[in-house]
Amino acid sequence: MTCRTSLLWMCLLGAGLASGAAAQQAAEDAGAATKPAAMLDLRRQPAVSGDAQAGAGKAAVCAACHGAHGVAVAPNFPNLAGQSATYLYVQLKSFKGGQRSDAVMSGQAAALSDADMRDLASYYAAQAAKLPGRADVASRGAQLYHAGDPARGIPPCQGCHGPDGMGPRPHPSSAPQPPWASFPRLRGQSGQYLAHELHDFRSGMRAATSNAKVMQGVAATLDEADVQALSAYLDAL
Amino acid sequence: MLALKGNRTTPTALALALLCGLSGTPDVRAGDTSGTIRVGDMQFGNALDLRGWTPMLQPADPDGVSYLHAGMRRTPTGALYPYPPLADAGKPLGQGDWTYAGLIELGYLHVGGDRNAEYFRQYADWKSGAVLGLFALNFDNRKTGSYVELRGSRLSGDDQYYRLRAGRYGSYRLEGFYRDMPHTVSTRAYPIWNGVGGTDLTLPAPLVAGASTPAQVAAVSAAAPRRSLGLTRTRAGLGYEGVLYRDWIGSAAITNEKRSGTRLWGGSMFFNFPFPDDGGILETVRPIDFRTTDINLSVRNVGKLWRFLATYNGSFFRNHKDHLNFESPFALYNVAGTPQMADIKDGQFSLEPDNDYHNLRLDLTRELKWNGQFSVAGAWGTMRQNDALLPPTTCTGVGGIYIAPPADYTFQCANWNTTAALSQKSANARIDTGLFDARVTFRPTPAFGWHAGLRWYREDNKTRYLAYNPLTGQYGYISENGSQGSVVPGETGIFDPTNPLYWSRNVTVRNVPFGYTDTVLELGADWQPGRKSSLGVTYTYDHNRPKYRERKRVDEQRIKFDWVSRDVIGATVRLSWEYAKRTGDRYNYDPYVPFFSRSLPGFVDPANGLPAHTVADMRKYDLSDRTESKARAIITYPWGESATLSATFYGNRDQYDALIGRQHTRTTGATVQWDWQPTPATTVNAYLGAETSRLGISNVNDADGPDNGAVFGTPEQVNPNLGGPLYPFANQWWELDRERNRNGGFSLSHDFGRVRADLRYDYTGSLGHVGYSYATIGALATRDPASVAAAAAGFPDNKYRTNTLDLGLSFTVSRSVGVRLFGRYQSGAFSDWHYAGLDNTLSYDHRLYTDKGGQLHYNVSLVGVMLNLKL
Repeated sequence: MTCRTSLLWMCLLGAGLASGAAAQQAAEDAGAATKPAAMLDLRRQPAVSGDAQAGAGKAAVCAACHGAHGVAVAPNFPNLAGQSATYLYVQLKSFKGGQRSDAVMSGQAAALSDADMRDLASYYAAQAAKLPGRADVASRGAQLYHAGDPARGIPPCQGCHGPDGMGPRPHPSSAPQPPWASFPRLRGQSGQYLAHELHDFRSGMRAATSNAKVMQGVAATLDEADVQALSAYLDAL
Repeated sequence: MLALKGNRTTPTALALALLCGLSGTPDVRAGDTSGTIRVGDMQFGNALDLRGWTPMLQPADPDGVSYLHAGMRRTPTGALYPYPPLADAGKPLGQGDWTYAGLIELGYLHVGGDRNAEYFRQYADWKSGAVLGLFALNFDNRKTGSYVELRGSRLSGDDQYYRLRAGRYGSYRLEGFYRDMPHTVSTRAYPIWNGVGGTDLTLPAPLVAGASTPAQVAAVSAAAPRRSLGLTRTRAGLGYEGVLYRDWIGSAAITNEKRSGTRLWGGSMFFNFPFPDDGGILETVRPIDFRTTDINLSVRNVGKLWRFLATYNGSFFRNHKDHLNFESPFALYNVAGTPQMADIKDGQFSLEPDNDYHNLRLDLTRELKWNGQFSVAGAWGTMRQNDALLPPTTCTGVGGIYIAPPADYTFQCANWNTTAALSQKSANARIDTGLFDARVTFRPTPAFGWHAGLRWYREDNKTRYLAYNPLTGQYGYISENGSQGSVVPGETGIFDPTNPLYWSRNVTVRNVPFGYTDTVLELGADWQPGRKSSLGVTYTYDHNRPKYRERKRVDEQRIKFDWVSRDVIGATVRLSWEYAKRTGDRYNYDPYVPFFSRSLPGFVDPANGLPAHTVADMRKYDLSDRTESKARAIITYPWGESATLSATFYGNRDQYDALIGRQHTRTTGATVQWDWQPTPATTVNAYLGAETSRLGISNVNDADGPDNGAVFGTPEQVNPNLGGPLYPFANQWWELDRERNRNGGFSLSHDFGRVRADLRYDYTGSLGHVGYSYATIGALATRDPASVAAAAAGFPDNKYRTNTLDLGLSFTVSRSVGVRLFGRYQSGAFSDWHYAGLDNTLSYDHRLYTDKGGQLHYNVSLVGVMLNLKL
């Protein structure tokens, strides 16, 4: 081995010894910086349950926007009645944890305990959903919802949200399962709210949970006409 | 070998990781886009970056492989998926929908120690100096699915690649590439000739062709400079695949590969055994100057019921150096002991001819009821060679031996050294092939399926050549450029029906147009008795009808069982066993009579008859009766959440029904591997592999010669039977080859955040033993006391061993800058009796070697530093 090679080897080994310390320092530096909230991993999210009666007692402030029984007072607010309890719980948890941000909801959720969130979720899930409308099954929105558009990479929404928009209907299987309970029901939701959320998914505003990551990819395939068509169809569903 | 592990988490991936020059640089999403063989080349990479996939080193995505499924870090059979690299969204390119991402890594390598060790640089042009580790630039349009991808790497002028890909997903793709790949044949070659790399090797002064002494040759050989021999493959191509119209997809590709360089070659001027000073055995160097152009065209249609595929493959091989002439330094002496009249001092080889290949294939598939499918394929191909033929010899003057009238075995070279001595001026060689393949499969229930197939293939060799010299009326070919007939009287290689000296010479006068027709019937079924297990059985009947071979038909029946369970104490177990039996019709040990001069008019049988073609009890291994069994077990055990233990055990046994010829082969092996990914930042692997194989052969020495107290050409020479006077049992011998391979290794990779460390160790070792035994010393070619003693000592074992340690550190300097330090230390040991003694001298009497073989011991180190810049 030549002298030059030996020197380079020594440098390499020396750097190796130093690297451990450097790595520690790097980790500390990185920790000191302000970081966005870590992604909320929902892939192992079990179905949640809570005390609906207790939830009713905690829902008074919610009613101002979402209505006394979960049907929102205005179409820019989501309808919560009949929604999946797990989905509602996860959203509250996201607002509290910073994975989802809203001027009102972030503040409201901050004060909630885990039990509060479970109870509220159970309460609204137990409420009667908004009555179904008369959706146009021949519309572009219906086509996208049921069949997607393979040529443009748009998957059919019904795969996760159910053929009738009432949530997923998984088949029994021994294969690893997605967290079905955390997928929302779309039927009975206002079109205005749905369009807003699709925009948020597409822009990355809503992207800090594993489910939102999925929706981010889906929304990226939709153009504005698709968003409006889907929202209109679901609004009337 | 490591490269056979098909998982990115395996040691192969770690090898890449270690030698790649990327560090902490925020990634470039330059992953390979899985080329097909229709478009572009199969593989890009070099020793610095085996896969050409350096960006795989970018930090692993802690989110894993799916946002939908937790715990899906395994294949269905339990093998771990690696954590995928963090995706890079790229940077916007202008105001449109295009984004780009790029990476360039430049650095310096230093190679120390025995840098020219053959096994270190066999397929890599390692050298100290600046290198381009990788240049990758991707442009993507997520809106349209269009992309442009540029990639390149350069280790040296003989070890580099560049590639441009572009296309739109689901629509079309095209690719252009250029690549140089080195292949070192020897780094310890000492050729004595001038003109190495060309077609004419000439002797340097003071050597004189045909007139130099062994001592003079030895002196020149000892002074010859060391040099490396090898070749470079330069490959370039263009390819396109895209939608032509609706469901019709077409592809077109052309590749051109040029191979240029040198390799070791022979150079016989007939034997230098058992008599000293007779002929000449030379190890020469031949040129490599090939070009192969491949053209592939296809069109396909995939419908709901029908699928159609039409393919054309053309391959055009050109050899720009069609011969090798060499000067032999040694004088020839004849065994008759008469004054040497011949002036044979050159040798010649006819090298590979140009070849044109065309193949047209049609495939048609239709969906059937009961979840069935029927497919049928037909193909026709042809291979043709029609080079101008070379004259039978290059000699001038007189060849052969003059003893005394009428024993004049001389010949005039002028009658043989022009193309006028040939029966035809060009090869006019042609082999046509035909294929018909039909297959039907049904799966009437999810738990049961069956299939049947019939395959017919024919190789029809239409080449017919008669070695006839119209100038002399003689048949045959001047053997070894005239040297053989100038050493042994009459062994000129010719048959002459008008000359008593040659009318009993049984020499080859025609080519043997080997061909065959093969028909294979296959029936199979599989059944899933449970949700996690399946059982399969396949029966195959292979009916082969070879032409101009020892058997006219060979039949093999094979049955294979396999069982797979995905839940044996949590593990996936795959077991298979197969048994095959090959038989055939009567074995004719000499089907080649029509191709020898004995079949020609005017042939006169020798007084004592023609010597037997070979021993009648010999069975060629591809035609003899055979039983074969194979067993394999593969176990994959998910060990906790983040580790996998996998093991493979296998064994093959072949038993040949042959008294003389191949007797048996046996292979037994096992591999064990442990993969562990406790976190996205940490990967650990360890593996062990072992294999032993045996090969048994039996043969018999003939007894027709002075060593057996006989004279050449006794009446007994016509008896082909083992145990007869020509092939007595006492002359039988057996060879038992043993080979043992061991390998093992360990790798560790951990990402500390700003520093990533890679450590890897590999060991490879093999041992080869040539064992033999013999009934009596009658089996030996020479039976003098020294030879008998040497035979009793046996051959020493052949050994090959390498140890390789790799260490790499990658530092993140900023979001766009990284530095990587890496090093490799390799030691090797090599011992092969074929090269024994060549370190001392390459010259022995009239035998001259060129290559000293691999270095017996070597140590080599490689260190490098790479700067990585994100573009």
